[in-house]
Amino acid sequence: MQSCSRVLLLTCFSVLLIAPLMLPGCSPTPSSPRAIGQPPARAPSFVAWKSETVLEASHGDALRGLLLAKRCDHCHGSEGFSANANIPNLAGMERLAFWKEMEDFASGKRNSEVMSSIAAPLTRQDSADLAAYYSMLPTAADPLDRQAFPQAATPAAQSASAGRLIVLGDVGRGIPPCQACHGPVGFKTGAPSLAAQNADYVLRQLRDFASGARANDINMPMRSIAGLLTEEERQALAGYYGSGLGRLPASAVLPK
Amino acid sequence: MSGEAIGARRARARTAVLQMLIVLLIVGTPLAMTRFYEFDSPLWRALMGHRRVDPETLHLQGEFVENNLGTAREADGSYTLRMIAQQYMFVPHCVRIPAGVPVHLRLTSADGAHALTIVGLDFLLKAAPTSVTQATLRIAHAGVFPMPCAEFCGPGHLAMNARLEVVPAERFQNLQPTDRVNCAVP
Repeated sequence: MQSCSRVLLLTCFSVLLIAPLMLPGCSPTPSSPRAIGQPPARAPSFVAWKSETVLEASHGDALRGLLLAKRCDHCHGSEGFSANANIPNLAGMERLAFWKEMEDFASGKRNSEVMSSIAAPLTRQDSADLAAYYSMLPTAADPLDRQAFPQAATPAAQSASAGRLIVLGDVGRGIPPCQACHGPVGFKTGAPSLAAQNADYVLRQLRDFASGARANDINMPMRSIAGLLTEEERQALAGYYGSGLGRLPASAVLPK
Repeated sequence: MSGEAIGARRARARTAVLQMLIVLLIVGTPLAMTRFYEFDSPLWRALMGHRRVDPETLHLQGEFVENNLGTAREADGSYTLRMIAQQYMFVPHCVRIPAGVPVHLRLTSADGAHALTIVGLDFLLKAAPTSVTQATLRIAHAGVFPMPCAEFCGPGHLAMNARLEVVPAERFQNLQPTDRVNCAVP
């Protein structure tokens, strides 16, 4: 009896182990890609979302961030809403996205005359603290403050075309829906929320991604998408987010 | 306790273990057969001859850095096409290969499970983080094929759709060893 069960046990294990190897589709993949002829790597960003990096970037001290943020007030507003639509709002910015951009400014992977010199002396901890602070600010702006957000609403036809791209994307061209990564439906690690972002800033980023002037997106999703969009679509999307519609479910603007 | 009672208890325990194993076998075998490419353990990799590809650092090192993606020409006249699957794009999102020539498609994923299919051909290649999947394509006729994702990967899955351009071999550009070609926009 005992030996019988032992045999059974062994059979179970060996079948479990061997079964996948017997399948035709499971032959071992040749695993040695030759390094010959490989061009030298061009890294879009030195940030890699390993679990320790995610921990580091998302566990800042918001109080220390508040003190550090005093020097950002002049351009980005005391509540994270800038007075100039060309300058991004930082209120409610995703922590990881904020942290990554600061690292990229500091390492020169994202070019900005102003931000490179500001970000360069900051430590990784400083960026994490600032990220913690700005991510806590509400995305509803104080109406008494001087701010560019929200901008005037775009024409209905334009916001409907933007809404379609945001909810559904474009299957034929392979443009994924914006809300799958930039919220409110889904967030991808390191993707910023666009709930309260200025139109001019969004438009400039889309154009820069399309032209390659900005190239710090890891595995190039944004360069690909911005390049697939037409100029009208870029303007429609920027206007849509700039007018504050990004906070609502995008289906609200779709024609019935 | 009498020896008989202990013996009976042992027998019951043995039956219980055996039953658990049978359940494990029934549940585990189909899982192992369909999801084998998602397993990631040193033993498994040694068995399968896989080398671990770190999904978080694809853009920093290895064969999937962004300027090594696309079609490359090998010394033996075949081609290698490297692509990354990620939420919710294949990168490069438009690829170009010559017709009638073997093209080794090497695919990995930067996040979850994806599957690359070619509409009009009987082709599906799964992509999983930490491993490289490979298949050889030999498409006889020139044409343009959509390449949608066939593994539900999230809210953007439906729009995850790349484009494959197969051009006649004589019209395919002559590639130097360091050249990588694709038809993506930027």
